[in-house]
Amino acid sequence: MATFLIGYTIIALIVMFVIFVILVSRRIIFRNNAKIQSIFAHPLLIYSLKRIGSAFISIMLAISATYLLLRLKSRNSICQSYVENWDKLPYDIREIRCDNVMRNLGLYANNFWEVIGQIFNYFYKILPFPKTLCREDAGTEPIYDAFNNLISYVKVHDCRTFIIDLGISYKMASGSSSNYVIDIIFGERMMHSFRIGIIAVVIELAIGYPLGVLMAKHKDGIVDKIGKTYIISIDAIPGVAYYYIWQLLLVYLIGLPNKYESANFVSWLAPALTMGLTGMAGIALWVRRFMLDEFNSDYVKFARSKGISENRIMYTHVLRNAIVPLIRSIPASILGALLGSFYIENIYGVPGLGEYLIRANESNDLYALQGIVVVSAFISIIAYLAGDIVTAMVDPRVSLASE
Amino acid sequence: MAKNVDEVIEFNNEDLFTVIGNSDDEAEKLESTPYSYWRETFKQLWKNPLTIICIAVIILIVIMAFVGPLIKQYKIISAGNKTTFDKFDDYLLPSFDHFFGTAGGGMQPYNGQDLWTLVWKGTQLSLLLGTVVALIDTFFGILIGSMWGYFRWLDPILIELRNFINTIPSILLYILLMQFLEPSFWTIVLVLCMFGWMGLAGFIRNQIIIIRNREYNIASQTLGSSSRAMITHNLLPYLISVIVTVISTAIPGAISSEVGLAYFNLSFKADDQVTLGQVLTLAAKDKWNVYPHLLLAPMVVMAPLTICFFYLGLALADATDPKNHR
Repeated sequence: MATFLIGYTIIALIVMFVIFVILVSRRIIFRNNAKIQSIFAHPLLIYSLKRIGSAFISIMLAISATYLLLRLKSRNSICQSYVENWDKLPYDIREIRCDNVMRNLGLYANNFWEVIGQIFNYFYKILPFPKTLCREDAGTEPIYDAFNNLISYVKVHDCRTFIIDLGISYKMASGSSSNYVIDIIFGERMMHSFRIGIIAVVIELAIGYPLGVLMAKHKDGIVDKIGKTYIISIDAIPGVAYYYIWQLLLVYLIGLPNKYESANFVSWLAPALTMGLTGMAGIALWVRRFMLDEFNSDYVKFARSKGISENRIMYTHVLRNAIVPLIRSIPASILGALLGSFYIENIYGVPGLGEYLIRANESNDLYALQGIVVVSAFISIIAYLAGDIVTAMVDPRVSLASE
Repeated sequence: MAKNVDEVIEFNNEDLFTVIGNSDDEAEKLESTPYSYWRETFKQLWKNPLTIICIAVIILIVIMAFVGPLIKQYKIISAGNKTTFDKFDDYLLPSFDHFFGTAGGGMQPYNGQDLWTLVWKGTQLSLLLGTVVALIDTFFGILIGSMWGYFRWLDPILIELRNFINTIPSILLYILLMQFLEPSFWTIVLVLCMFGWMGLAGFIRNQIIIIRNREYNIASQTLGSSSRAMITHNLLPYLISVIVTVISTAIPGAISSEVGLAYFNLSFKADDQVTLGQVLTLAAKDKWNVYPHLLLAPMVVMAPLTICFFYLGLALADATDPKNHR
């Protein structure tokens, strides 16, 4: 009960705050109060609200589209992976069990309108406000007849209060403590992905930026040529191919552990280095390009003509200006670390989110797939917004106010 | 200084000049050769020895893709739906009989086949797929991108569409689409093209927005040019260097996308339709750390091919930019 009270209070406060901000920015209330105007009609605030509002539409579209596409997975292929001994069962029993499975999954529909209803039901589940949901199908226990044939499932009622509910993962119950998709994603999977991803981001930034600066400083020098070759190779060769080259170098030549283990820090290094050394190419390329663009600008020529040393021009004038467009991408890469990479997690056996997506697809785990779409959609929208806000904070020339 | 001027004046006599008279034919002649955009472009291109090497490598690989399987007559015979292969022992190391060795036991259904034949067969299909996808992508990318940049009312719609596609992980989109399409050449082209044009269109759109409000465009619009004429005569010729680069880098991009599909077992399923991506991912899932030639064989072809296309794209970007001419 307390969760509900607190939850609804927070929701109400947020809604009131949004309405208040809109009213203030439209100058309907507090028209003459400069202090309140400057706080609540702040361009940053208005801009964020607008972006979140418009992003909601594309999230809704993405979720509906994936839901419909997932529904197109043929009924038999879904049932085949859920009903035991599918091939041996006679046709009519098979159909009954298949119907049961579809009902349990919340996918049983007679016509198109019921499908639309299911989509709205899903929206209701993922709306972030507290709701108690009782599952008839949570912890289903099989009943067997005298000949040890599966007859049906006993429905065990399980009620739980959710803020966001992403449904139940039917096939991932073994090996994890909970079979709620939200618990699996946030409690188990994301931690591993983020661990690898954040080390990779640090490596990317720590190597990519200095490399880009060095390449721009000694244009057409030896560092520039080596760096350019590396960047072109990374851009051109398919990712899958050079991930294996990195594995060859890091694991079989240097001797880092091949298999990821949660408790062993050294084993995190191989996937993190693979990811970081790949991502660094893009950063170095853009740092170099932006710095070379800035070299031709008027203020650099002016500084040079005043006799400021090349190093000072480089580090205090050019670098600060060239770095602004790159700062936009930093929140995206940090938040992107939460989602992980399919290939790298597959190669090194990291039990992260990318690996979960592949496993969920193989076992036709629809709610798990849908859950990953929801999480990645929210993360990408927050990342873009954060990028814009950080740019506006760093660069005084950029303002978020729409004219 | 003054002395020099005097000297010049002193020598300024008729001996220094010969009168050649005037003829109308001579007056029409130009001393410098007339400027031709494409000739100048190719001149720039040939200047760089690396570009020539790249073009040579690409041509060599294209020829080898067709000639390679003929050098060693190990057959991939398909009769009806059944395909039979020349099979050898698994994991044979490279030798004179098998230039790249033979495929491993884990590379079903290609186990024990001659990798040389397999790799060149794969190159054929990968190149064909890459080229077709790149051409379709660039066509739609340019068409939609130029309209996207030019017509302001299209902007919010297409930006929403782009956000919508970007929010879903791309591999999940491929999985979802491939589940009810039988893998064949044209369905794979369709799936790869469905989202490939988006990146190119966004790129062209950004470029057009940058040049849309230049003076010459405003002047042209004021004089009453139609939208189509504006796009085809004012905007796209300005972007020709961008477009050429985009086409050139789209081919390795499409080849890479196919590798991604193959990695998740979404690519061709028929035994006789093999791509470089399939050979590579099958080798990667086999014991390549014991038998590195499994992985090296497709890599030896794929890496130079994609790098050369990519480098050629960058070289074209420089060569087609009129600012670098003369």
